[in-house]
Amino acid sequence: MQNHATRDVIVGLFVLVGLATLAYLSLQVGGIEFGAAKQIELHATFDDIGGLSVRAPVRIGGVKIGQVSAIGLDEELRPKVTLAVDADVAIPVDAEAAIRTAGLLGDQFIAVEGGGAEDGTLADGESFGMTVSAFSIDKLVGQFIHNAGVSD
Amino acid sequence: MNALIGWIAELGAQTLAQVEGLGRVARFGGHLVAAIPRRPTRFGFFVRALFDAGVLSVALICLSGFTVGMVLGLQLYTTLTRFGAEEGLGAVVGLSLVRELGPVLTGLLVTGRAGSAITAEIGAMKSTEQLDGLRMMAIDPVHFVALPRALALSIAMPLLNGLFIVFAIAGAYGVGVWRQGLDGGVYLSGLEDAVLFGDDVGQSLLKSLIFGLLLGLISTYKGHSCDPDAAGVARATTSTVVTASVCILLADYVITALWGV
Amino acid sequence: MQKGEIHLLLGGSGTGKSTLLRMIGGLQRPDSGEVRVAGNLLSEKSERELGEIRKQIGMLFQNGALLDSMTVLENVGLPLREHLRKPWSEIATQVARVLKSVGLDGVEGLLPRELSGGMLRRVAFARAIVMEPEILLCDEPFSGLDPVNVSRIEDLLVELNRSLGLTIVVTSHHMASSLRMAHQMILLRRGTCIAGSPETLASSDDPEVTDFLGEDGRSYLARLHELRAGGGA
Repeated sequence: MQNHATRDVIVGLFVLVGLATLAYLSLQVGGIEFGAAKQIELHATFDDIGGLSVRAPVRIGGVKIGQVSAIGLDEELRPKVTLAVDADVAIPVDAEAAIRTAGLLGDQFIAVEGGGAEDGTLADGESFGMTVSAFSIDKLVGQFIHNAGVSD
Repeated sequence: MNALIGWIAELGAQTLAQVEGLGRVARFGGHLVAAIPRRPTRFGFFVRALFDAGVLSVALICLSGFTVGMVLGLQLYTTLTRFGAEEGLGAVVGLSLVRELGPVLTGLLVTGRAGSAITAEIGAMKSTEQLDGLRMMAIDPVHFVALPRALALSIAMPLLNGLFIVFAIAGAYGVGVWRQGLDGGVYLSGLEDAVLFGDDVGQSLLKSLIFGLLLGLISTYKGHSCDPDAAGVARATTSTVVTASVCILLADYVITALWGV
Repeated sequence: MQKGEIHLLLGGSGTGKSTLLRMIGGLQRPDSGEVRVAGNLLSEKSERELGEIRKQIGMLFQNGALLDSMTVLENVGLPLREHLRKPWSEIATQVARVLKSVGLDGVEGLLPRELSGGMLRRVAFARAIVMEPEILLCDEPFSGLDPVNVSRIEDLLVELNRSLGLTIVVTSHHMASSLRMAHQMILLRRGTCIAGSPETLASSDDPEVTDFLGEDGRSYLARLHELRAGGGA
């Protein structure tokens, strides 16, 4: 009984520390952001998206600016990827969206590169004009064997 | 023929007993829930129970989390190196910890550390007629004894889960970065990219909350329903650990399946 | 059973003394038959309604049944706190008064495990009477106590009965100590019971009664009878 006050303080500390870890997990690790980060939707159509999946990051020069929010097909049955990109990142209209792989077998992500002509920036709902499809080892190996056969 | 009929009768009796047991647990749970809004609110008891269930488990949870993180770091780093994908360490560690290992291991550890203690305490109170004593004073033992402890478990579980995960992330960082020489930034950014709030952290919180509620219900029910003698308390305590562990593992599968990986 | 009297439930172990007491308190429901307390049929009451009736009943358990995580003050003051919502300062003075009446002083801050058996029993006693009940149920109040404590508790029971008109039901297998205070005795024996005043039981020829009382009990009762008669004359 004489330790009532001390115990209450310890329990309070426990709750605070526990909440702090949950906040760290939610905000820093989980990447939840309140209000501030508005995102716009951009579209990109590829020939082949390889193993790209929803939630894959979108990067410019390695810096994450958004993620893949949806993957579907357009009217011509070509893979159509919807990207959610931070609104404050001005992407030139003539930029290119490329599907890249982190490392040899790592996760795939979308790299936005190039552009810069003074034609304005992509707005919500617009599409990338140029895309580079997923780099596929299958294709590469197939091409290599084909080329080798021709040169013989 | 008679043996067969006897066997079927036995099966029927067992089934009925199981259903009856479930019914009793459900009624006890209803009793607990109905007692939540009832006055007086015993905040002091709740704080005491939170101390017993939460604070006293902190050291165990932190140590276990750190060790599990170290092992994960070591094992996964070695495996990932084979594919040249050691940058993926943060992602794999983060996802496996946040989604599964954190809530499940915390649930099992708290079951052994705090759930068993709660059953034993309530069982001992029952066998020394303390619960009957309360009833004779017109005080509902479910409201007075069980509710603060069940609530404390449900609150402590998500908090301990958070602690476990953070310490495990630190443990894996220690091994991956300091021992194996992975870049710290790569590890953390991989982790932060892979783990999302809605799908991963949310699932983790939901799981630990449900595990806490399950353990709270099971441990207090087993205490209240135990045979009032030393052997009965021992059986009830064992039964809490077994039942709660199995329920946590089953619930984990069900939540994961329903959530859709 | 009559109001305002001390009833003694006797019987060997396993004859259901404690069970009967627990039924009167509403802790157990009878397999058959009915239990009435102050006109209330207990078997038809819900747990909540039983609570209202139990506020009129104090019960002294065999092992005290004090909450072992709470101090003596909190234990004895608990019913006051719960039902009357009194502030602790007021409760403390009332608890001190009740503790004094059972011969204890300055033990409020102790935990039950720090008390001796006799003190424990008296603290439990204080808790049972702190709400000033009309009925007091005592489960084996004398077992495991030294003679000094036995007579002390005996005196307390008689005193309470006289001064407050408390109806008291006591179970015991401790003959001599409990006989002198009883107005009514009920002897339980394998599902049957024999009731009567100590005098009628002492002069009974029923072999079961004589068996249970034994030679000592009978002679004690006879002497008691003479004593009372002598006092009356």
